[in-house]
Amino acid sequence: MAATFSEIAQLLADNRHLAPEILLVVFAFIILGASFSTWSRKALGWLAVVPLLVSLFLVAGMMGFFDMGLLGLASFAGPVNVELAGGALSINAYSLIFKFVFLSVALMAVLSSLSFLTEKDRHVGEYYSLILISTVGMMIVASANNLVPLFVGIEIASISTYALAAFRKRDGKSAEAGMKYFIIGATSSAILLYGMSILYGISGTLDIPMLSQRIGESAWEPATIVGLSMLTAGLGFKMAAVPFHMWAPDVYEGSPTPITVLLAAGSKKMAFAAAFKIFIVGLVAAKADFGFAIAVVSVLTMTVGNVTALSQTSVKRMLAYSSIAQTGYILIAVAVGTKTALAGGLLHVVTHAFMKGGAFVAVAAIAYLISSEKLGDYKGLARRAPLLAFCMAAFLLSLAGIPPLAGFWSKFVLFSGAVEAGGWYSWLALAGVLNSALSLYYYARVIKYMYVEEPAEKAPTLRPVPMPYAAALLIAMAAVILIGLYPQPFIDAATTAAGTLLP
Amino acid sequence: MVELPVLSLLVLVPFIGAIIVFLLPERRAAAARWIALVFSLLPLLLSIYLYWLFWSVQPATTGYLTSDNLQFQENYAWVPSLGISYSLGVDGISLPLVFLTALLSCLAIVFSWSEKRRPREYFGLMLIMEVGVAGVFMALDFFLFYIFWEVVLIPMYFLIGIWGGPRKDYAAIKFFIYTHVASVVMLLGIMGLYFQCKAVLGYGTFSMLEIAQVSPTLSAGFQYVAFAALFFGFAAKMPSVPFHTWLPDAHVEAPTAGSVLLAGLLLKMGGYGLIRVALPLLPVGAKAAVPVMVVLAVASIVYGAFLCIAQNDLKKMVAYSSISHMGFVMLGAATLSSIGISAAVLQMFTHGLITAVLFMMCGVIHHSAGTREISRIGGLAQKIPVAAAVFLAGSLASLGLPGLASFIGEFLVFYAAFVAFGVWMWVPVTAVALTAAYYLWAAQRVLFGKFKLELPEKEKGHLDDLHVHEAVALGILVGLILLVGLFPSLVLDLTNPVAGALAGLLGGGG
Repeated sequence: MAATFSEIAQLLADNRHLAPEILLVVFAFIILGASFSTWSRKALGWLAVVPLLVSLFLVAGMMGFFDMGLLGLASFAGPVNVELAGGALSINAYSLIFKFVFLSVALMAVLSSLSFLTEKDRHVGEYYSLILISTVGMMIVASANNLVPLFVGIEIASISTYALAAFRKRDGKSAEAGMKYFIIGATSSAILLYGMSILYGISGTLDIPMLSQRIGESAWEPATIVGLSMLTAGLGFKMAAVPFHMWAPDVYEGSPTPITVLLAAGSKKMAFAAAFKIFIVGLVAAKADFGFAIAVVSVLTMTVGNVTALSQTSVKRMLAYSSIAQTGYILIAVAVGTKTALAGGLLHVVTHAFMKGGAFVAVAAIAYLISSEKLGDYKGLARRAPLLAFCMAAFLLSLAGIPPLAGFWSKFVLFSGAVEAGGWYSWLALAGVLNSALSLYYYARVIKYMYVEEPAEKAPTLRPVPMPYAAALLIAMAAVILIGLYPQPFIDAATTAAGTLLP
Repeated sequence: MVELPVLSLLVLVPFIGAIIVFLLPERRAAAARWIALVFSLLPLLLSIYLYWLFWSVQPATTGYLTSDNLQFQENYAWVPSLGISYSLGVDGISLPLVFLTALLSCLAIVFSWSEKRRPREYFGLMLIMEVGVAGVFMALDFFLFYIFWEVVLIPMYFLIGIWGGPRKDYAAIKFFIYTHVASVVMLLGIMGLYFQCKAVLGYGTFSMLEIAQVSPTLSAGFQYVAFAALFFGFAAKMPSVPFHTWLPDAHVEAPTAGSVLLAGLLLKMGGYGLIRVALPLLPVGAKAAVPVMVVLAVASIVYGAFLCIAQNDLKKMVAYSSISHMGFVMLGAATLSSIGISAAVLQMFTHGLITAVLFMMCGVIHHSAGTREISRIGGLAQKIPVAAAVFLAGSLASLGLPGLASFIGEFLVFYAAFVAFGVWMWVPVTAVALTAAYYLWAAQRVLFGKFKLELPEKEKGHLDDLHVHEAVALGILVGLILLVGLFPSLVLDLTNPVAGALAGLLGGGG
């Protein structure tokens, strides 16, 4: 037996860089167990906060944000660059930056759930444990170097989020969201998997870097194009790119708002973690031909998202459309495919997670106070809840790309990547900045309602925001302002991460 | 002795003031104006100190955008991997505008002393605006320049949106989107410059000084495109015909102090950008664009003047006259000559003083007569003689009466334009006659003749003349208009050497 124990210990030590994932899985089961006992709703939520905080700390350490050696955790000291599971998973700057995003988003989602869930909500244990599991799925996608773990990760995350979207199953909107999300998600997974299998048939490998090499060597066949198109469509559904975006507004609007945070700021980024890898590393050879198609999708996505957002009267739905537009911006990175552009794309993944996540949390907190997500009810909010309105305004201005907030820097690096590439790529940058200017219209409209309009006559005074909401908002605000004022470490991290894909 | 970071303080002091004002508790809201006054008076004193220092140093005048030429520089790395730094500096072109910023911000606060509606936000936003505008005039890093440029938009949007007139929603959002589109196109031009210079230098930098060393040698094709992008950004801000349509809406709806800052400072950012950035960095593009600039400038001057004649709203008239007068700035810059550029800066400075007076007077007249419609008012001079005298002084200064501030600037612009473009420049000169016509006609109808206003009984025909705080603000401005009119060298001595260096770069000579 002793040998077995030492083998297990050795195994754990070898795979110690997977500690964040392992921790989340362990806690997911602990929460499930605890939910059968007399643990309260709140306590279960705090139980989910713990592993997220620890994992976030470990991931930040592995990214090299601070010196782990000083804390006696030298074996986790960053920057980490290892391959595990026979090369199928890699823990490097690229996967860590995504994990950082997923964990932060999950943390915001859990914190805002603490006040969002009421005594009417059943199965709270399952709820929190599914959030943790879906986060693990996303983290696996970020690490995957092979199509199989990539797909498995996507499925773990998706299936958990289908259930989460329909969590309030007695609420018609939530049930509809869950059903829609499930059907679209399952279809797109099937398309994705079929595309992968065709590529496997052509190249005989599932390893992503190897795939690139094989496809580069082999002649172009109709099957390659079919496989690539299916992959594009499958991931396009997941990231809600036009014309595969129809599901997103309904699902984002119908889901419980903390889950919308997870979907819009987290699981959408999972599709980008996969897309960057597959299209930029895996299909370097195909880039020239596919770049243009993706550029068209990118411009369409941002334009359709922004134009549709203009006419929305529900803030939550408007943010859902703005999410589609942001997908369009990030797709510029895939289309251009240079190091600067990819760094910009990664940075935008980071900043978007915080500003969009923060905006949805703010929507949830405002709904908690005034029981409405309608723009008209935001009238005079700045007088009734000044701090909350200020946070919301900062997130919206950051989304619009107004300096010196986080969103400005990521858009800046992203668009300058397109300008740097020159040629017709510059037009992508022009489309991007004009779209940003357009988006300012609907963001400014929300700010106008909050700040310019006076509150309605008999508007009751508002309670203060509950602490968990405040904590989630604080995380997002801190990130938006910190990245805004001191973007250097984040730009470096994104550039290093981009460097692992494009040396 | 540790050197005082004067330029940073010019940005930092109003910023701190704004934060304090925003954080005031509700019941202390009345203190907002005092705090705003103190935190805008300090930068004014600093800028006077700066003026005096600059005058006594008389810096080297060799070169343009060189580190010899720019004084009081502060440099700190900000985002080194992208070559972004926090760097400020002033030369003879930016200094008068920095002074103007501090002066008008302070006087606008004094003028709005009786603002009772949401005073914390009101005065805080004014201070934030001062931060942005002063930053634009001092930034030596493109990136910082762009950030300050954008910072200005937000307070202006709220000033129009909250304290504006009946169509404030439309005007505020139009202003915001219009000028934001212009700035992002400008940003694309800046990005293009960055990458082209990176290819030459081997490293990326947003430093204007370093880019200025390299960019004039870039290919002509690139310079055309980049100049077009920058020019669009600046021309929309100035604004020049045909990008001017946001201005009348914004002005008519903005509160008085907002109009003062908008016309007095924000428009100057466009002219300053043209002279500071677009001309020296892209000389080939600038030379190619001269015909375009001249046509747009002349169109703005003449068309703006015609629009003024047609207006019945006093404030709208003053707003359109800004388009006409900013046309002179572009015309002066388009000559690419030392005199033209120097005169353009002088024109910006004096236009800032004069429109401030005129917009304040529009506010006073609106407040006291209850309307700004020229046709409904008459004979105001009988009722409010002091205000009438100030309005007349502002009008005379604006139409270019010799001895008052704007005469020298306009005269020099025309001189430079005749030298550069020849006899066709009689076209804009006609606008001077038109300007005289619309100002005198308006003054005649509003101030003299029969008193037409129908006042409610209880007022017994009494109208409020200038309040003390209004009189203080206006008195200082009128005094400065007279001072600069009599001693234009106060500004020209600063601008001439720098303008000469710039003209040398552009090959325009004398």
